[in-house]
Amino acid sequence: MKKRNLMLQTVGCVAVAFLFLVPLWRLVLMSFTQHDGSFSFGNYTALLQEPRTLRAIGNTVVISLAATALSTVLGVLFAFVVAYLNIRRKKLLELLVLAPFIIPSYVITISWTSALAGNGEVNRLLRLLHLGPVNLYSLGGIIFILGICNIPLVYLTTVNMLRKIPRDLEWAARASGCGQWETLLRINLRQAAPAIIGGSVLAFLSCIDNFSVPAFLGIPASIPVLSTYIYEKAISFGSQAFSMASALAVMLSVVAIAGSLGISAFSQKEKQADSIRADFSERILLKDKTRRWVEWISIGVFAVIDLVPLLTMTAASFQDLYGQSFSLKNFSLQNYRFLFTNSGISSAVGNSLMLSLVTCAVCILVGTAAAYQKLHGSGPAVRLLEACSSLTYAIPGIVLALAMIFHWSAIPGVYGSIQILLVSYVTRYLILQVKGSSAAMLSVHPSLEEAAHVSGSGNARMWKRILIPLLFRQTISSSLLIFVSALTEMTLSSILASAGTKTIGLSVFNLQQSGDYNLAYAFSVLIVLLIICGYALVQYVCREPVKKEKCERRRNAGLLRLYPLKASQKMEESAL
Amino acid sequence: MSLKISGLSKKYGDHPALWKVSAEIEDGEFVCILGPSGCGKTTLLRLVGGFEQPTEGFIYAGDVLYSSQEECIPVERRDLGMVFQSFALWPNMTVRQHAEFPLRQKKYARMDAAEKQKLIDRTLESVGLAALSGRYPDELSGGQKQRVALARAIITKPKILLMDEPLSALDAELKISMRKEIQDIHRMTGATILYVTHDQSEALAMADRIMILKDGEVEQIGTPKEIYLHPRTPFAATFVGKYNLFRGTWDSDRFYEESSRVCFPGQTVGPELKKLGLYPVRPDQLQIEKQGNGIPGKIRNRQYCGREIHYSVESAGNLITVYAPIQTSYDLNESVVLIKKEEIG
Repeated sequence: MKKRNLMLQTVGCVAVAFLFLVPLWRLVLMSFTQHDGSFSFGNYTALLQEPRTLRAIGNTVVISLAATALSTVLGVLFAFVVAYLNIRRKKLLELLVLAPFIIPSYVITISWTSALAGNGEVNRLLRLLHLGPVNLYSLGGIIFILGICNIPLVYLTTVNMLRKIPRDLEWAARASGCGQWETLLRINLRQAAPAIIGGSVLAFLSCIDNFSVPAFLGIPASIPVLSTYIYEKAISFGSQAFSMASALAVMLSVVAIAGSLGISAFSQKEKQADSIRADFSERILLKDKTRRWVEWISIGVFAVIDLVPLLTMTAASFQDLYGQSFSLKNFSLQNYRFLFTNSGISSAVGNSLMLSLVTCAVCILVGTAAAYQKLHGSGPAVRLLEACSSLTYAIPGIVLALAMIFHWSAIPGVYGSIQILLVSYVTRYLILQVKGSSAAMLSVHPSLEEAAHVSGSGNARMWKRILIPLLFRQTISSSLLIFVSALTEMTLSSILASAGTKTIGLSVFNLQQSGDYNLAYAFSVLIVLLIICGYALVQYVCREPVKKEKCERRRNAGLLRLYPLKASQKMEESAL
Repeated sequence: MSLKISGLSKKYGDHPALWKVSAEIEDGEFVCILGPSGCGKTTLLRLVGGFEQPTEGFIYAGDVLYSSQEECIPVERRDLGMVFQSFALWPNMTVRQHAEFPLRQKKYARMDAAEKQKLIDRTLESVGLAALSGRYPDELSGGQKQRVALARAIITKPKILLMDEPLSALDAELKISMRKEIQDIHRMTGATILYVTHDQSEALAMADRIMILKDGEVEQIGTPKEIYLHPRTPFAATFVGKYNLFRGTWDSDRFYEESSRVCFPGQTVGPELKKLGLYPVRPDQLQIEKQGNGIPGKIRNRQYCGREIHYSVESAGNLITVYAPIQTSYDLNESVVLIKKEEIG
């Protein structure tokens, strides 16, 4: 028995190393490979002498810092409004704040390009107000879009922390002679600082990682950032193309991993209040009139950020010519007709659906098994799996894509087929399921299993009758995240997909690159609809069995209970 | 500072957490608000503190209106200090910074730094924390944490001290020794103290007067002795003195128990209990005999407690608790009679 276990552990460790670590190792090796096959720092020195590299690094830093500042200010502000003020319609506001979380960033980018099209309505209005036409294809544009894409990250970490600060701490300060606003500054903000910093580091990492926004806005305007620069290097020809790209990838990963380690070091040092209970009461009561103003301004801001671009995009998707102002006369279904009849598009949709379903299935099986092992006195294999899959989630997607090429092209029959995408997706998203399933397992007390065994159930029956029903809902919730991410994934597929294996994300990218903007709009509208349907379906499947007392609470938690899970997972992941 | 509370009510939605509470508290008095959980005692404290606004009634401190339906002076402008059950220490500040925090108010802007430091030193010394002034809350024990909270609450010498179950989070032995420290602080500062607790022995031991709350209404206000010896309501009797309540009929000052017609003298029993046909007897006022002229019953349970034995005796369907000396020995299901001991003093 013991011998068999040892063998299993060894096989497990080797498999994990082969699937997760060897690709990254090959990437690092590749970055040191010269064209004669020898190893040296040559690629790095060559890159750092290129002015375009320096510009890319500079742009990455400037864009990420500025976008992070924007997300932090807005995220913290609205976290404060939702957590503490007595405004109504909090659920609507929270939904609007969190919308960029489920809509992929390239759809947000496309919707904004439609809203701020050169001579569109919005720009005409701005010109009337002497604010000039706004050009989204610029440094400022990239910063703005990345900023709003990452508001949810800061918002979620902050809003939970703000709710967890015990009211006693505030009251003690008030009783010590501090006014309400001073208390907020000196007590609440101070206590929430670690969460705010953690959230903004996440936003920063997500900016570095992001490929689609700079690809859509930066490539046409020739503003390179590291992720798009790696992409350009990787798809360019030349003997050193891959080596150069991997050298850049290593540099980018160093920044990302340093950031992740930074958070974990910081969050361990910080002294935290011991209360861990979230308090949902309204702490600051505004007068009726002020309350209404705050409420409508907040909702208005996010309506402009989320809904206006989506509306203009939808309107533009029904026009046959790009750039004309919307009118019923030009109403046409031509774009949608194209999308539904073009074989390339339908195969892309089919590919993405298939990929995300299979990815989910694999992740659920492996992730749940790993979580079960982990909570039942695991061997080294599971711990290795967790660490390695965290690593492949923390590094930027474009870096992982390169590593995948180097690794799987050495194994015949994978690279160039759809398998490479499948393997990459599992490598990328597995950790989400491991964390999700572990959380689900933790909520099932081990004594329930023991009770099942004592009552004479074998292993199979115990899983079927006890564990699966209890774990089902939470497991599905976390695999939904994987499903939506895989369905709308663009970074990995932009490098790994080949002619017959295009995905949804890549098709949108290609449409946008070839100037078929209205088609891209129409496709984005379909993606948003698809995501909404997916969430609705999962909500329906995972709805709580109706119990009287729980009913109310569940309704309040509603759709939103899925988000915090992802945010906290992402934070843990990044913190390695 | 004296406190006058009149007709105070607080509703959450339709549910009244506090209903028409009135009390007059004298300057420098130590008043315990005693009641089971959910009786509204913390709500009352929060209203006095100004953390919440009453739906009805007034709170006056001296001649100043603190709270009413229209007015609510903000917490920071009331002359009070507060101590919490959870200690409410700020995790990022040292012991010394906690004591210093209240001195940052504008009022103390004129005070020079050396004088402030001296005041902090003296205050920390008075609660026995002088040696720990550089520690953070997570490096302190429960008792030390509560001392920090006390130092923070008293450093500005507030006229009113509010204490919300300050000892509940401490272990049993520490509770007893901290009682003395709180009494010392009361004597030292001369502040009016409102002290919320659900622990009867704490209230009896420390308070000048006790206010018993039940379901948001006042049951009885009085000195510990009055409440212990002469409870006015069934709740006050059972909650504080653990009284057994016998059912029977009153004939002016004489009580006839319903099952045995045994007669008890009752000059000191309050009118409310009389009206309900109840007679309160504490477990230590009863004596168990094998036979005699008393209330018949059967021993249902015994618990050996070291100093005495607690018997549960079933009589006419009720369980009566009796604290008997350890020499006594009765078996389960033994038939006995209960006799009320002669009152001494």
